[in-house]
Amino acid sequence: MENQLPLIRLENISKSFGRVQANKDVTLEIMKGEILALLGENGAGKSTLMSILAGQLVPDTGTIYLGNKPVQLTTTDKAIAAGIGMVYQHFKLVNAMTVAENVFLGQKGGFWLNKQKMCRTVEQLAGQYGMTVDPRARIHDLSMGERQQVEILKLLHRKSTVLIFDEPTAVLTPSEADNLFDTMKIMVAKGKGIVFISHKLEEVMAAADNIAILRRGEIVDRVAAADVSSTAELAERMVGREVLLQVDKRVVEPHQSVLKVEELSGQQMKEINLEVRQGEILALVGVAGNGQKPLVEAICGLSKPLPGTVTLLGMEWRKFFKKGGWKNTLSYIPEDRQGLATCQGLDLLDNFLLTTRGGFSRGPWLKREEAREKANLLLEEFDIRPPDLTAFAWQLSGGNLQKMVLAREFYRKPRLIVAEQPTQGLDIAATEDVWNLLLQARNRAGILLVTGDLNEAFALSDRIGVMYNGRIVDTFRTDNKEKVEQIPQMMAGLAIS
Amino acid sequence: MLHFRITKRQEPLGAGGSCLVLLSALFLSLLLSGFLLFLRGTPPVDGLLTLFQGAFGTKWAIEDSILKAIPIFLCSLGVAVAFRLQIWNIGAEGQFALGAIGATWIALTFPDWPKAALLPAMIVAATVAGGAWGMIPAILRQRFKTNEIIVTLMMNYIAILFLQYLVYGIWKDPTSFGFPMTPEFSENAIVGKIGTTSINWGLAHCLVLGILVWGFFKYTRLGFELKACGDNVRAARYAGLPYDRLVVLVMVLSGALAGWAGFLEASATVNRLQPSIIVGYGYTAIVVAWLARLHPLSIGIASFLLAGLRVGVENLQLDLQVPAAFGGIIEGLILLTVLAGGLFTHYRIVRGKT
Repeated sequence: MENQLPLIRLENISKSFGRVQANKDVTLEIMKGEILALLGENGAGKSTLMSILAGQLVPDTGTIYLGNKPVQLTTTDKAIAAGIGMVYQHFKLVNAMTVAENVFLGQKGGFWLNKQKMCRTVEQLAGQYGMTVDPRARIHDLSMGERQQVEILKLLHRKSTVLIFDEPTAVLTPSEADNLFDTMKIMVAKGKGIVFISHKLEEVMAAADNIAILRRGEIVDRVAAADVSSTAELAERMVGREVLLQVDKRVVEPHQSVLKVEELSGQQMKEINLEVRQGEILALVGVAGNGQKPLVEAICGLSKPLPGTVTLLGMEWRKFFKKGGWKNTLSYIPEDRQGLATCQGLDLLDNFLLTTRGGFSRGPWLKREEAREKANLLLEEFDIRPPDLTAFAWQLSGGNLQKMVLAREFYRKPRLIVAEQPTQGLDIAATEDVWNLLLQARNRAGILLVTGDLNEAFALSDRIGVMYNGRIVDTFRTDNKEKVEQIPQMMAGLAIS
Repeated sequence: MLHFRITKRQEPLGAGGSCLVLLSALFLSLLLSGFLLFLRGTPPVDGLLTLFQGAFGTKWAIEDSILKAIPIFLCSLGVAVAFRLQIWNIGAEGQFALGAIGATWIALTFPDWPKAALLPAMIVAATVAGGAWGMIPAILRQRFKTNEIIVTLMMNYIAILFLQYLVYGIWKDPTSFGFPMTPEFSENAIVGKIGTTSINWGLAHCLVLGILVWGFFKYTRLGFELKACGDNVRAARYAGLPYDRLVVLVMVLSGALAGWAGFLEASATVNRLQPSIIVGYGYTAIVVAWLARLHPLSIGIASFLLAGLRVGVENLQLDLQVPAAFGGIIEGLILLTVLAGGLFTHYRIVRGKT
């Protein structure tokens, strides 16, 4: 290994944002034919490091070597030219165009387009790497897994030699994830290098050759995946203490109904019925885009439930949202933390007040100082970094922002919680905290958990509902082993007896 | 090869830096203005000095600048309230006209009321009229998804023509020898002057209203809600804020403040209603609001400077025969350079090798 030249070598890379040091003296090599997993807690500096590689950020100090030649990746164009490509969590595709058109989009070439030739090229390329996407299909007709293939094809077509995947499996079904790993293996067999960021330790162990662990901006460990005996060991290396990711789920007697959805249709939804009682967690699992979003929006008052009825805490939908109230009601923890749950241009105090303002109002006045004290305690309790209420929301890493949203929503002592992918992007320690919080909250609240992560559903839920194509295919108790085994098939819409 | 490139700042530019950028932008706009003067054969340095002399050089000039700054300030304060919510109210001019009309109606109908009753009644009428004029585009926006920029702009013309209809028609002073103007207001309908100066008590109104608006955004729950809506509409809906109602509210507030300016202009400055009170304060107010980044204190300063520009240009016209439209050019240049300077808040330009 020593005599082989790495594809890319990062040497002593440091980057800080104001007082926050995101990367400190990071040295990392990406070898030909290697799948390197990058692990780390929230805010450990993974995203920053990868943004530096992708040319979006310029490091303060340090050098990047392409082969043995130092390069300056000051723009994304330069990074692409250097053969570094990134598959983002949120796909950057033109929905109205075909797969082939997306692959060729933005590339230099002649003035005329030859559609036939484009399709053939894409088909060949896909075939070489074990992908099955149809080059003539339009993006909006594709599943998430197929869209991701298009993203990968774009990079392969540009002859990228190093591919970076940012939490690639977050939106995939288990079988789509397996396909992705197969494709990755073919890519490295053909001499490419892959970096992939994930919080799912099992898949890191299964797919990666080597694992690099970042903690507080520094590489603290680099091991071969074969030398790691268990996910628990990996978690311990990552967090620096023992983490079991096991929660103590005691059965709570379900009480009155806090959420009832009857015959809800429209906007991708088809005749949805469900009920959540106080003291239970109902997990809705399914691949993203199968009707979860419109369902959650209708329940949380963002869109009208038509046709159908939604009853929250015993009140009819319209009456419930008219009454409002900040405490003892509904807390919604949305998946979209940046766009929906927070105002990016406001500071943390204002963001804390966004849904708790009712508790700090006296007459027309807002008691900011009172709120400041409470919010400071919460920052400490939830270990939100930086612990500074004057920081703007956009300055926080994804995980820390999520913790801030959770702190705020749990402060409201909700009786109904709708949590959408609550631990997506959270590291293992934070995930454990969130799970415990949700289980604690179950004593006084009913929880609707919408998740794509089956482990999360198993760990937390009392009942599981599987969503596919706008319907709840089946609902069953989590201890129903037979049904639980069929979940992957249900998620993929395969016929179930 | 040496070249320049733009990189993003990690932290927005601080107060000192912003100040420097602002001053450089102003300087650059003056430089460009000087160049324009040079092109038409006027000595640029003399020209600009004449401008300053005319705006701030004498006690009389300063008083005149303050006088003109009063309506600009109130209109701009109103515009800024709407801009906070990213509602682009271009209709301060029309709301100003309606305010003047409302105040005039009370002044002409109840001329004998005591001052303590008449002036407040005029203020109420002006703010209600201006507020209602602002509310119409807000409601159209909600019901029919119209664009508030177009609607407010078009309503300016309606308002101004309506004002003209009144002063040429039913409100025309029979003793005015055919000039389009209402009779002069009764003594009780006139906001007086401060001491021996030519500045009226409208300045005090500005001070109080400015502080109220500032305090409203800083200390009240509603002010906070408006701020949140202005930053992210989706998050506002998520938090259960009644966005549609808040849009109506800001448009009413915005119109009411412009209407108040109309009241002061009619009552204190010309003591009657006449078409010449419409001189584009409502448009200057938009420039002022942007220059001041919507902050009340900065709006005060910017109003004074741009009012001074209006006054100074008159001097330039008299002494050096430069057309008064030159004032509009300078106003535009200032806005452009300051907006361009805004780039430096989040970016910087680095010179480096490729």
